[in-house]
Amino acid sequence: MTFLTKTGLAAVLVAGSVTAASAFTACQVTDTGGIDDAGFNQTAWKGVQDSMAEYGIEGRFLESQAEADYEANLNSLLGGACDVIITVGFLMGDATATSAAANPDQKYSIVDYAYDPTIPNVVGQVYATDQAAFLAGYLAAGMTETGVLGTFGGINIPPVTVFMDGFVHGANHYNSVHGTDVTVLGWNPESQEGLFTGNFDSLDDGRAFAQNLYDEGADIIMPVAGPVGLGSASLANELGTDELKIIGVDADQTQTDPDRAHVYLTSVLKRMDATVQAVIKAAMDDTFEGGLIVGTLENGGVGLAPFHSFEDAVPAELKAEIEEIKAAIIDGSLTIGG
Amino acid sequence: MSAVTTDTSAEKIASAKARQARITGGILIGLSLLVLFLLDVAASEVATFKLSRPRDAWVLPDLVVPGAFNTIAAALLAFLGVRQFLRGGGRWTSLSLGIGIALVIMAFLVWATAGKSFSLTGMLQATMVRAVPIALGGLAGVLSERVAVINIAIEGMLLAGAFTGALMGSLLGGWGGLVMAVLVGGMFGMILAALVVTFRMDQIIAGVVINLFVLGLTSYVTSQVFAEHRYLNNAEIFRSWKIPILGDIPVLGPTLFNQNIFVYGALILVAVATYYLFHTKGGLRARAVGEHPRAADTLGVDVYFTRYLHVTLAGMVAGFGGAWFTLGSVGRFDENMTGGRGFIGLAAMIFGRWHPVGALSAALIFGFADSLQQKLALLNTPIPSEFLAMAPYIATIIVVAGLIGKARPPAADGRPYVKE
Repeated sequence: MTFLTKTGLAAVLVAGSVTAASAFTACQVTDTGGIDDAGFNQTAWKGVQDSMAEYGIEGRFLESQAEADYEANLNSLLGGACDVIITVGFLMGDATATSAAANPDQKYSIVDYAYDPTIPNVVGQVYATDQAAFLAGYLAAGMTETGVLGTFGGINIPPVTVFMDGFVHGANHYNSVHGTDVTVLGWNPESQEGLFTGNFDSLDDGRAFAQNLYDEGADIIMPVAGPVGLGSASLANELGTDELKIIGVDADQTQTDPDRAHVYLTSVLKRMDATVQAVIKAAMDDTFEGGLIVGTLENGGVGLAPFHSFEDAVPAELKAEIEEIKAAIIDGSLTIGG
Repeated sequence: MSAVTTDTSAEKIASAKARQARITGGILIGLSLLVLFLLDVAASEVATFKLSRPRDAWVLPDLVVPGAFNTIAAALLAFLGVRQFLRGGGRWTSLSLGIGIALVIMAFLVWATAGKSFSLTGMLQATMVRAVPIALGGLAGVLSERVAVINIAIEGMLLAGAFTGALMGSLLGGWGGLVMAVLVGGMFGMILAALVVTFRMDQIIAGVVINLFVLGLTSYVTSQVFAEHRYLNNAEIFRSWKIPILGDIPVLGPTLFNQNIFVYGALILVAVATYYLFHTKGGLRARAVGEHPRAADTLGVDVYFTRYLHVTLAGMVAGFGGAWFTLGSVGRFDENMTGGRGFIGLAAMIFGRWHPVGALSAALIFGFADSLQQKLALLNTPIPSEFLAMAPYIATIIVVAGLIGKARPPAADGRPYVKE
């Protein structure tokens, strides 16, 4: 029943944004977090918005309210209205592959999924997020006062856990360089098990999970669960940043969550806007080719956001070390988890 | 079944009791084996439970439990089980089972924590916090079902309360938001009452309709209006307020006396509702309307008014519970953020045998399973995280399906009353 109403609602949204079919149109299907999730989906949508502004194309989006909506949303975009369909999220991998196989002339691109073997009409956009998260883990290990860091995820899937992997390895690297004993709660890279809310939309879970980690001594937490992390930011705001700081993910969350900008130590950037825009450009120029785009520290597809209000609090030596590590990762002299 | 047809009813009851005692005994012996073999902890390992947090006024030392605890627990379980099996009496059956389950949970915690530590106080505090919306949802269910109106709409009322709390809290401040959330919850209660009392609509369908309406409306406004105008969805939250002295008591203080007004409110409402329903004239009349509306009507109780009043009150309680999601937790509304907590509240009501205190206890069990699940994920137990996330719901199913014994809903529950 929920599904029916929500699909009905989605249909209304589409009807509202249908425009002339003559111009180049890029269509996007979001994951369940919603287009205004201050992170993942919003960043991917920004790629379409930027393209609209720069190339004068049309852009449309459909929100998936539940996983059952993926296929229905994809089907409703077929029929020649969209020049390229961009699906956002690992969970949409199967639905996108099915739709792409059934419609070989339609161009597709998916964020956070790499097909093996590749599909000729799909571009997968993936990110070496662990590189950027490694820097965040190193930074957090250098900034913690309690010696305990925390992280939790939405669902145990690779695009989420790659953040957590990098974060833990970064903190461990700090330990081996400085001889410290900083621990990270909430993720075990060996067993690939950890703390997960099981959803990407219950903000209250974000607060409860952050409280849990805080009770165990964590003073810097990286939530990797889309808008759920906003609940964690709310707790940090209440406790004060001396007690608890948050590391944002996907977008620079000081920009997407301006009301609580002061709680974000930094953000692990995953520039989905850049890769989405690159795919749209390729589709417009007829250079579109199925395969893979990988965002790395080197090509700017992933990165660390500025420290904003913590600019003065982060010691200069730590900043310099992070720059060195970044260079070492780019030139390959430092491998993550190695 | 046919073999016992010659028994007198007294013998039947006695044999049923004996059978129940034997079943309980069997379960306890099974649990004992489970603890002995699956939850075996080396005697040299210790589990550390932190009772105090660094900033507490009175610091208690950590509670250190040696691994031998589990062996002792298994022995105790076996003793209880054998005792039940051989000479179980009705009075001891549920008590033994209760003690047994508590022992198993403790043994499980010791097993999961062996060689590590976690904050027991933090877990208990989280238990309380996570139980609040469920307890309030359950209380709303109790209030309306006691006057024989099945309230499936609790989920929608919670969501409406959460939405109103965020919107009005942003415009009018926390207290204004709270009052409006309660009023809007009450409004939906009154709508439900109108549908089922005046128009005698099917009560389940009326509830589902309200749920879907609230979900659709709030989701629409969130994605269309809040996304553009952020200031409408940025409410000040009620911070926790520590009761002087009581709040400094170790373990108990942070759990009960250093919380926000929603936790205090839920506890007070449960106490008031219990007193009202079972110790006042109004409560007696309300229950009479739920059990036998015709008799109540004959004696001069206005059945329709009583139902309207209590379903509206139930809506107000649910509205208060809904405001917890936004004003008591994260200060911002998000689509479907109540996530089915209203339905868990209904389950809590049934488990609590249509009694406010029972509903609160059931909500606490759910809250405990929920916070336990989070702690276990941190302790790196070999149990997969997906399974841990199911724990609260498994607990709900077990308590509702298996352990409630004979719970009886109000006799007229779900039936419209037609005045002659």
